[in-house]
Amino acid sequence: MRLPGTRYQEHGWEGVRKLLGLCSLAALRACDIDAVLDPARHGALLDDYMEALAPLLHAAARRGGAVPGNSYGDSVADLALGLLFELQMQPGHWSAFANALAAEHAKQGPFWRGAGGDALLRKKVNDLYATLRDKLDADSFQAATGQACSPNRIYTYRMLDMACRAVGAVFAGWPGTAAQVSAILGRDVPASGAYPIEIRQMTSSASCRPEWIVRWSETLERFGAGPGPLHTRSKRFASLRNGVDKIGAMLADIAAYEALSANGDGAGWVHDAGTAAQWMDDLARVSAQSVAAANPEPDRILSPPVDDDVDEAGGLCPAPGYGPPMAYQVALDALQAEALPVRQAVCLKLLGPADDSYPDDWRDSATGELPTLQQLAALAGLSVPTLRKRRDAAIARARPEGERN
Amino acid sequence: MNDEMNEDVAKRLQERLLLGRAVPGDYLVLADATLQAALDGSRPLTAGELAALQASPLTLRRFRHLALANRPAPAWRHSPGMLRAADSGGALDRLVTDDGWWQLHFVGTGPWQVILKLDAAAPFAAQLLREQPLLRVTDGAGASVLTGRLDADGESEAAWPFASAPAVHFQAHGATFAVTAAPR
Repeated sequence: MRLPGTRYQEHGWEGVRKLLGLCSLAALRACDIDAVLDPARHGALLDDYMEALAPLLHAAARRGGAVPGNSYGDSVADLALGLLFELQMQPGHWSAFANALAAEHAKQGPFWRGAGGDALLRKKVNDLYATLRDKLDADSFQAATGQACSPNRIYTYRMLDMACRAVGAVFAGWPGTAAQVSAILGRDVPASGAYPIEIRQMTSSASCRPEWIVRWSETLERFGAGPGPLHTRSKRFASLRNGVDKIGAMLADIAAYEALSANGDGAGWVHDAGTAAQWMDDLARVSAQSVAAANPEPDRILSPPVDDDVDEAGGLCPAPGYGPPMAYQVALDALQAEALPVRQAVCLKLLGPADDSYPDDWRDSATGELPTLQQLAALAGLSVPTLRKRRDAAIARARPEGERN
Repeated sequence: MNDEMNEDVAKRLQERLLLGRAVPGDYLVLADATLQAALDGSRPLTAGELAALQASPLTLRRFRHLALANRPAPAWRHSPGMLRAADSGGALDRLVTDDGWWQLHFVGTGPWQVILKLDAAAPFAAQLLREQPLLRVTDGAGASVLTGRLDADGESEAAWPFASAPAVHFQAHGATFAVTAAPR
């Protein structure tokens, strides 16, 4: 399934998930997992984990070549690295992971040291990235379309897309599947009868009717392996049973973008120094005009969306502390005062090892990338933990006012 | 060691600091119409809206998307090309840039004329015909083959400036050429 802005919703996700699972086990083995028991150590554990995992993913990328992870040309390894990179920007997801391990520990002790610990550890890693990918894609969808979207809504899109395919598969099985086709269509189409017109018309998610999805889910208990997604006891999609309009609208969203992106519309992911300069110039101009104009009209600030899919408790933070306009520009000046290896460590953390904005003399001649954190620490004459502290303090100072953790 | 923070790095860091932060419960706080009106200058943001925009990484990402979508496609600056194997024998009458948008025609048998021709279907054709920038065709050694502006038909013509024939000359000078807009 493809939706505007999303990158993690296609079949290639299976490869990304497996790669992250495999490499994470090895990376976590190199860390002191006991740190999950102390929330004060979660941040340092994330640093250790990231520093152990990134080289493994890079090595996998070199070994595995560029196995595509989506139809935009991102490789499985690129997508895995992208998620790892986002993980550090979303400390809540890492805390949830660490807390989940700690909760298991409370039940059964340090299972990660046990013989069968890998399976559970891998499951927790899967949960971490499954949640993170939907969060990332929901945000990207919103940035690309201007429409509100939650991770749960992404999950619902995915379920509906899967359901369409399943309905298509049942249709394709006619006349062998005549009984189930009849149940889905809501009229009798006996195997001995004429080829049902609906089957011929069902060519994409655009032509899959919402009531078929509801009936398909309903019939799954009888024809499939268990209750369908709209009819499970979890109630996650239960509201959709009476929501054919909503299902129809979401199917139309999927189909519309599929039609649009079939001719190669994948350029939404431009992240380079040039585009950064361009839109930040626009932001500076818009900010300056706002300050100069002192527009007295009432604010046109939208209310938070009422999301019927939301199950994230305590989500909203009503009034983030507003800083003075463009406070971050001043903050960046403070970063300039730091020693070069500290600034490079900041770049390594925020932009990754190979951003195209880096000057040649920052790059290691062997790798073409920034030195590793260990190498930077050696260059600065600091220990790795001290460099991390200076780096994180510099980032905290450079964050916009009111956004400091 | 470069001790000044390079401008590009600074911009990328600023971008990352603005967009790469988790704000719990973040949502699109400004409508597209409000952002577009601020971008095109027709209605400046109020102080409250500006503060809300800066406090919402998600809305900033939407702003980024709209700002970049509003910008014209990057202007054409440069199209390189090379002599094909098939061009090496016999007389050369035509060269095409790698992007396919420019042709060089060689007319005559010595003296020669060289004609630069822009494909009308090039995405930047309308802009170049309107702005009439000074164009320069260079050989693989950087020497000027032709300097001029396009006429209304998208062509520019000059006398071949070298003693040797076009095929011989390009072969002896790196077998490449380029069409470039002279710096403004």
